[in-house]
Amino acid sequence: MPSLTSRSWSPYVAGVVIGLLQIPAFLFMGTALGTSSSYVTISASLAQFVDPSIAQIKYAANHMSGAKNWWQVALIGGIVLGAFISSRMSGTPRWGASPFWARAMGAHTPAQRYLMAFTGGFIMVLGARIADGCTSGHGVSGIAQLAIGSFVAVTAMFGAGIIASNLIYRRV
Amino acid sequence: MTVFTAMLLGVAMGVIFGFALEKGRVCEAGVIVCQMQMSRHAMLKMFLSAVITGLVVLAFLVGFGFAKLSPKATLFAADIIGGAILGIGIVVAGACPGTVLAQIGTGYKDAIFTFVGGLFGALAFTYAEPTLLKPILTAGSYGKMTLDQLLGLPFPVVALALAAVLAGILVWLEKISPWQDEVGPQGDGLPAETARREPVAAPAA
Repeated sequence: MPSLTSRSWSPYVAGVVIGLLQIPAFLFMGTALGTSSSYVTISASLAQFVDPSIAQIKYAANHMSGAKNWWQVALIGGIVLGAFISSRMSGTPRWGASPFWARAMGAHTPAQRYLMAFTGGFIMVLGARIADGCTSGHGVSGIAQLAIGSFVAVTAMFGAGIIASNLIYRRV
Repeated sequence: MTVFTAMLLGVAMGVIFGFALEKGRVCEAGVIVCQMQMSRHAMLKMFLSAVITGLVVLAFLVGFGFAKLSPKATLFAADIIGGAILGIGIVVAGACPGTVLAQIGTGYKDAIFTFVGGLFGALAFTYAEPTLLKPILTAGSYGKMTLDQLLGLPFPVVALALAAVLAGILVWLEKISPWQDEVGPQGDGLPAETARREPVAAPAA
């Protein structure tokens, strides 16, 4: 039986839990699970302190107010909290970077990995905003709604990911 | 619903979401990247389980009139180009826009850089969208197009049929590759023979 103190649950149990979250999302918020549009809400709200004119950009303005946008910001904050509690309950906290990186890329400094993480994060969310969704919005939620655009976006995501991961890293 | 109530609900749902991402081990770069290399399939199994559950849940919610779907518009150029850029970003970062937050929660420091990079990526898109990106984003636009509409069948029928097909794929995948082997003894997606922890950074005292 999966317990709250287990290190890992079967991916099937974990996936079902996430799928069930669609029920409150649709019933209370009238929307599906997603995470990447909250990056616009947060960054545009912060950028406003430096550049107040960002609120004039329609795309930014559409993301800066309203219950749905801030619900998603709270959702991603909750993910941090949930993963923190889960990893501490199972006694599996992490630090630094995953040992995976040394195996996939060979020796490198933490600074190199941090720069790579920043760059990867930039590309990842830029792509997600161009496609209007990420692994959760297009993947988990889009396919569950049978949206053709989501089938296309997820195929492109995995296709490019399969090519890039085999080109960049050694197999671990 | 007020913004405050929505945010309370968001935090509650997020905690459950984060718990599931951590227990499912997709908070590990090794699990994400090895999935992309198609060598181990823990992420795909979890992803498809969430999709199958979503399909069944929505078949009932829509079938009995409790909810209305909100599918994203079909924009072929944006979906293909954006999806491909997203896939490359996931491989370089070792995370998705949602799972990076679970990485932060578990304590990975590099994930903070991934998240901040993501905020700048969102900002770059926001500034570029009205001028540079509009022509790409609107090319091949077909509005809200869904598989059930194309087939001319009710949503619940197609949703449950697809769920059955995907469940069949998972049964086969689990048979050829058990999940316990895929997440590895340390739960970091690294196989047993290479799972020794190397001092990438000193553990917190």
